[in-house]
Amino acid sequence: MSLLNSIISNRSDAAGSNAALETATQRTIRPAYKVKEEADGFGLTVLLPGVTKSGLEITAEASQLSIRGRRNWKQPEGWTQIYRESVDAPFELVLQHDNSFDSDKAVAEFRHGVLRLALPKTEVLKPKKIKIG
Amino acid sequence: MRNDYPEIRGLAPLGSLRSPWAGLETEIDRLFESTLSGFASAPRGQFPVDLYEDRDNTYVRAELPGVRRDDINVEMVEDHLTITAQRKDDDDEESFSCSRSLSVPEQVQADKVSASYENGVLTVTLPKREEAKPKKISVAIT
Repeated sequence: MSLLNSIISNRSDAAGSNAALETATQRTIRPAYKVKEEADGFGLTVLLPGVTKSGLEITAEASQLSIRGRRNWKQPEGWTQIYRESVDAPFELVLQHDNSFDSDKAVAEFRHGVLRLALPKTEVLKPKKIKIG
Repeated sequence: MRNDYPEIRGLAPLGSLRSPWAGLETEIDRLFESTLSGFASAPRGQFPVDLYEDRDNTYVRAELPGVRRDDINVEMVEDHLTITAQRKDDDDEESFSCSRSLSVPEQVQADKVSASYENGVLTVTLPKREEAKPKKISVAIT
């Protein structure tokens, strides 16, 4: 995965952004997520099971929104693994956007491993009723 | 639950805009993840579970983000553990119900099974029966 990722992301991201370098060095998995558009904003729901508030990092850049979540559960001493389906790798979700929301007014709520981000649309984009004179 | 949801125009995942193999990449990644890491992957549409054990208990950990404690049901019938979870939401899209049954390898004291839910992960503790615990037998040397 890291090999494929590094080839593809390095090539497509020739500018060499830090994000691309980070993903190349650390294996991450993309969480399940959903984006919903409403009249006055976007709602982003990301499933991050096992992640605690302290392990969660949300970064809003110019045209990119990044969400990283580390799981802080460690296998207790004395426990032996019998069967495994979950992965230890941290979650990473990078979304490109066209600045149609105001990141300064974003509201984040994190509960039971679910992150809900409310991203209000920039004033310019909000629907306006035009009265007929 | 684990499915990627369709994206919308304003907010698209990185890669899909640039790479012609965007969909394929993730499929290949998945393939590599499951074959190279030695981890099994959860059947499609089901939540992933892990099994651990120590001397006294068997532990099942299930990833169930965003479910209320009251909406999780854990049942032990013979040597099968069934976890049922449902999410009720005003928003119909987010409502779901899912269930998974697994056979527990060791003999379990079914009446002493306990469970806890934290950060979207359910941990079920299944105490082993006395006869299933490893025993230390001291052998007298004559």
